[in-house]
Amino acid sequence: MLCILIKRIFGLSAFRVFAIKSIMPNITIDNKQISVEPGATILDAANKLGVKIPTLCYLRGHSATTSCMICVVKVNGGSNLVPACATVAQEGMAVESDSDDVHSARRMALELLLGDHTGDCVGPCQSACPAHMDIPLMITHLSRGEHHEAIKVIKDRIALPAALGRICPEICEKVCRRGIHDAPVSICLLKRFAADVDLQSGSPYMPECKPATGKRAAIIGSGPTGLSAAYYLIQEGIACAIFDSRPEAGGALRYEVSKDRLPNDVLDAEIAIIQKMGAKFELNSAVTGATLEHLHRDYDAVLLAIGKIEPERAQALDIQMTAHGVKVDKHTMMTGALGIFAAGAAVVPSKLAVRSVGEGRAAAHAIAHHIFGKPIKVHDRPFTVRMGHITDEEMAVFMAYASSSGRTKHSGNGLTPNDTSNEAERCLHCECSKLRACKLRDWAIEYDASPNTIKGRSKKLERYDDHPEIIFEPGKCISCGICIAIAKDAGEPLGLTFIGRGFDVQVGVPFSEPLSKGLRKAAKKCAQACPTGALALKEQFQGDSK
Amino acid sequence: MPSNSNVRMQCPIASEIDLSFVDSIVERLGTSPSAAIPILQAIQKQYRYLPEEAMRRVCEISEITPSAIIGVASFYSKFRHKPVGRHLVSVCHGTACHVKGAELVHDALRRQLGIADDDDTDPDGVFTVQKVVCLGCCTLAPAMQIDGVTYGHLTHDTVGNALHDFLELERRGLVAKRFDLPNQHIKGLAEIRIGMGSCCIAGGSADVRAALEQAVNELAIPAAVKPVGCVGMCHQTPMVEIAGTNNDGSTAIYAKVDPADARGIVRKHFKPGGILRRIKAAFSSGLDNILTDESWAPVTRYAIDVRDEPVCAFLGRQKHIATELCGQIDPLDLDEYIELGGFEALRKCVTTGKPEEVIDIVKRSGLRGRGGAGFPTGNKWQLTRAVKSDVKYVICNGDEGDPGAFMDRMILESYPYRVLEGMAIAAFAVGANEGYLYIRAGYPLAVKRIRDAIERCKKRGLLGDKVFGSHFSLKLRIMEGAGAFVCGEESALIASIEGKRGMPRLRPPYPAESGLWGKPTNVNNVETYSLMPYIVKNGAEAFAKFGTMTSKGTKVFALAGKVTRGGLIEVPMGISVREIVEEIGGGVPGGRKFKAVQIGGPSGGCIPAEMADTAVDYEALTSAGAIMGSGGLVVLDDQDCMVDIARYFLEFTQHESCGKCTFCRVGTRRMLDILDRLCTGHGKHGDLETLENLAHMVKRGSLCGLGQTAPNPVLSTLHYFRDEYKAHLEGKCPAGRCKALIKYSVTDDCIGCTKCAQHCPVQAISMTPFEKHEIDQEKCIRCDTCMQVCPVDSIRVE
Repeated sequence: MLCILIKRIFGLSAFRVFAIKSIMPNITIDNKQISVEPGATILDAANKLGVKIPTLCYLRGHSATTSCMICVVKVNGGSNLVPACATVAQEGMAVESDSDDVHSARRMALELLLGDHTGDCVGPCQSACPAHMDIPLMITHLSRGEHHEAIKVIKDRIALPAALGRICPEICEKVCRRGIHDAPVSICLLKRFAADVDLQSGSPYMPECKPATGKRAAIIGSGPTGLSAAYYLIQEGIACAIFDSRPEAGGALRYEVSKDRLPNDVLDAEIAIIQKMGAKFELNSAVTGATLEHLHRDYDAVLLAIGKIEPERAQALDIQMTAHGVKVDKHTMMTGALGIFAAGAAVVPSKLAVRSVGEGRAAAHAIAHHIFGKPIKVHDRPFTVRMGHITDEEMAVFMAYASSSGRTKHSGNGLTPNDTSNEAERCLHCECSKLRACKLRDWAIEYDASPNTIKGRSKKLERYDDHPEIIFEPGKCISCGICIAIAKDAGEPLGLTFIGRGFDVQVGVPFSEPLSKGLRKAAKKCAQACPTGALALKEQFQGDSK
Repeated sequence: MPSNSNVRMQCPIASEIDLSFVDSIVERLGTSPSAAIPILQAIQKQYRYLPEEAMRRVCEISEITPSAIIGVASFYSKFRHKPVGRHLVSVCHGTACHVKGAELVHDALRRQLGIADDDDTDPDGVFTVQKVVCLGCCTLAPAMQIDGVTYGHLTHDTVGNALHDFLELERRGLVAKRFDLPNQHIKGLAEIRIGMGSCCIAGGSADVRAALEQAVNELAIPAAVKPVGCVGMCHQTPMVEIAGTNNDGSTAIYAKVDPADARGIVRKHFKPGGILRRIKAAFSSGLDNILTDESWAPVTRYAIDVRDEPVCAFLGRQKHIATELCGQIDPLDLDEYIELGGFEALRKCVTTGKPEEVIDIVKRSGLRGRGGAGFPTGNKWQLTRAVKSDVKYVICNGDEGDPGAFMDRMILESYPYRVLEGMAIAAFAVGANEGYLYIRAGYPLAVKRIRDAIERCKKRGLLGDKVFGSHFSLKLRIMEGAGAFVCGEESALIASIEGKRGMPRLRPPYPAESGLWGKPTNVNNVETYSLMPYIVKNGAEAFAKFGTMTSKGTKVFALAGKVTRGGLIEVPMGISVREIVEEIGGGVPGGRKFKAVQIGGPSGGCIPAEMADTAVDYEALTSAGAIMGSGGLVVLDDQDCMVDIARYFLEFTQHESCGKCTFCRVGTRRMLDILDRLCTGHGKHGDLETLENLAHMVKRGSLCGLGQTAPNPVLSTLHYFRDEYKAHLEGKCPAGRCKALIKYSVTDDCIGCTKCAQHCPVQAISMTPFEKHEIDQEKCIRCDTCMQVCPVDSIRVE
């Protein structure tokens, strides 16, 4: 009606101009059509369409800075890549976002940023731990006396921490950065302490389990691999039956480790928890070729966690072997038979119980994915950038956040509560404060970007902590300028600025003033919006500032 | 807080800084954020660096925020943050200087001055040494400038002499500014023309001019010494041309003139005035000059004739349109410019023409932008014309920054009126009444001449209100750059005029739609504007008759490198690379083999000798892997290493990246890492593939022209000279250029003269008279001195 009125008043030509101006451009993204407001960007259109385009430097409500270039897309079949965040949608535009070519460009942008990133995502200890337990977080909880939280963190990765706390060869401690200064943190004993406290508490930690799904898995072997797998499968609502030819559960932990090192009561207590969670133990029941066939038929999945396997046994079970052990697809942990998995020493002989525990957990995830019909992808190792060699100067930066006392000597009975807090204070907290909120890391994981493809760390590790609320690590800055824009919007008298240009550009406070003067109002907002660990809230930082 | 090492503020004592001076600057230049760059330039002019106190003061009394001032001050490379030594030594790192050993000169200079690795000033604070992109005197390569004085053809051996010479000049009070160009010649008089472009001055033409004037005065000769713009024959500077003495209109040219010979040249062509006039004129200089009829040393060795084959070849293939009347007119003589047809085109436009007609002529001429990308100029104008806006701008992009290219500077210095006229025509066509000339930092003579030219035009009613009495008015301003190559990119240039860091932004919107202050803006390059008067005056067809199907008219190139006759040339499009190198340039000197030409500088690529028949044409050059670019053309011979050339250009672009987008900021750096590895013998398996992959991604994923073209030198050399890259992977440099991969040794031809031992700067050769010398490989820094001083050619490089 209005249109007709306007048409009458202004005549046909005026109407046409009006109509063209207010037209909503139609574009396609990966062949999905959408019409958007005039002036909307490709990113706006993608959001409207539910197409996920990664961004780092884009800050809603601000004009795009087009710096990170991980939002690149291709337009109308051209070869060049344009940033979706700033490219205005034009009528008829055909956007390509979800293609190998575009993905590899985004991956390279991410890899360029990662290759120039100074800082570890997760601590070297966590990277090295075969079970990838979040050691720094455990230590943080212990230092705060949060024992329940500590055991939760441990058991998220290690189902048998009290046992391992006694026999683990401490791989994590061999890479502990604190060792460069004096001696590594006693990580293994800290874990043992947390686990012992938990067991002795009378009501040991029971993980939250999803309701039973009716799905069932058969686990052959009750050693560290099998127990660990059961522990995590049950949490997924999958019932587990554990078969073992021997009279008692525990496998190598019970029958190959001396009782002096690992007393039976410790092992029993940890197995009891798994039993209490609902695992059925079928002991004294050797699995033969025939029984395996039955299990394969009766259960939704079977896990071979039988430890080191002899070729004769493999032949009897009718499973394929490599030179070392059971042949599996390393991405799915599945053997040649659909639904039969293998993990632990059965695949690669190893005496490392912590490795078996880690494998058991990975197998549990693979099995759960298989049972629930999801694609299996074993990526157990947490993504991380690594600092590599560090200088004395950089070591000093780490040491500024840890106690200077030496490694606790202990009697063999584990750590006392006092020792525990001393040891916990020695941790350098190499991990990134933004580990759980880093967009760069999230996208790197999603795009399978490696920090080692195009390496060239050139920035040194620096930490600025003069500000009461935030910590600044320039080595993690990707020069996106979000913080500068936020500070400007907040009307900071000094604010932040880019200093220098090109590869050497840095973000800093004008006139080399301290951060506390640069950001009087907007610090928190800046830290929250920072897409990496360059600006982080102090409350996210687990080290203690001295 | 972090501070970039070159930005670390050294706090001066507050009392050193006169804050009232800062106040007066701000009062003069304004308090708006857009005044940031001129204010900083004024502060630096006073203190020779930017004292923090002064910048803080600016923030207190203006709308410029601390964030903005530090962002800008640290972005542009001309701004210094540390006090500078008493004298500033600028070592040219242009392409021509690079291939002729600038790095060795720079190293030697630092070594001799005892400058620490992390510093740029000697311990006594006398000399500050800096690298500059290009001094624009490529034929003097390798060259350096100490304050205003240029030293050319340097070797690591002679830099010490240059320093002493300069200190001696200073002691005698002879270091003077030499840019003054008073023009007071009288019409009808014979002319003694002397080129006074920056490069001519660097070649010593100011001294020659002084000597000529002295001679003319003392001999009381009825002739005028006339400063003219660049002649283009840089290989012959200083050049003197005598015109108006022959009835047939021909002129006599003297090349490479020494001041001592000025008198002889003058006497050869002019009869001295009568004895009374001579006495009168020479009263103060003593009577001996008058009474003895001196016999001058013969000066014929300087004389060259335009009919001489080399000169003929150099000039014969050229076609002067942008550089019309090259070497004949006084750059600032407005009357002369008008007399020779200047401003005729503008008059025609504003008095009788319609903007659409002008645009139509430009479109029909086929002119494409001479800044590099080659966008059709007429179409650009039409786009700007089509946008409705009360305010529009024209901008002249004179931020030429390619190492080894100085066409724009030459045009601005030599033909300022032509550029202004071209801009005015553009402004009329697109409907703009305001404009800026953005002139690169370090072009003081160009700035001075343009400033003078604008003033003179305003007085004459050729600029300002009511041009030629019409309704058209145009106000032009100059914006001096502050040292950022990326500002040659139009969106960065606009940001810079607005007083910001020179960061490019995504286009579209193009400046034609939303440019300076968000208004429609037409940006063209200096050369593009300078072609305009010719096109409008002579018609589209007169221009379009030169060139090829898609590339019309002429192009100015700076021809340098391993070529006999270097200089500035203007050639018709379509001419082949071979004709330029062999006919105009006279081929590669010294019996070396012509290997390749590098066209388009850091954005361009190499064309190997086998493809020298490639025509100078936008499309032909692009498909050969080079680009037209802004006009740098460097000839390379078999002693030039192509990996080194690629590394040289990439180092430049990497350094000049604004740092905005990831691909360019980090990607070019990683490419450079690989090239550094290759040139030092640390190449790794897979490096070439990574390099190529990165190069393609940087090209595709960068936002602006800088990043999109930065990989070109690498890609084109990888394409044509991959074997050389492979050799580097194996630790060999076939051209014997990469220091880390070569070894100097003495052959049996050695006569034991000790010359090499005497000259070796690091005592790597011991004094063993009459014995074959030995080079200590541990000590040797591969400076090439021994090779150059050996009288019997007994130094071998492998």
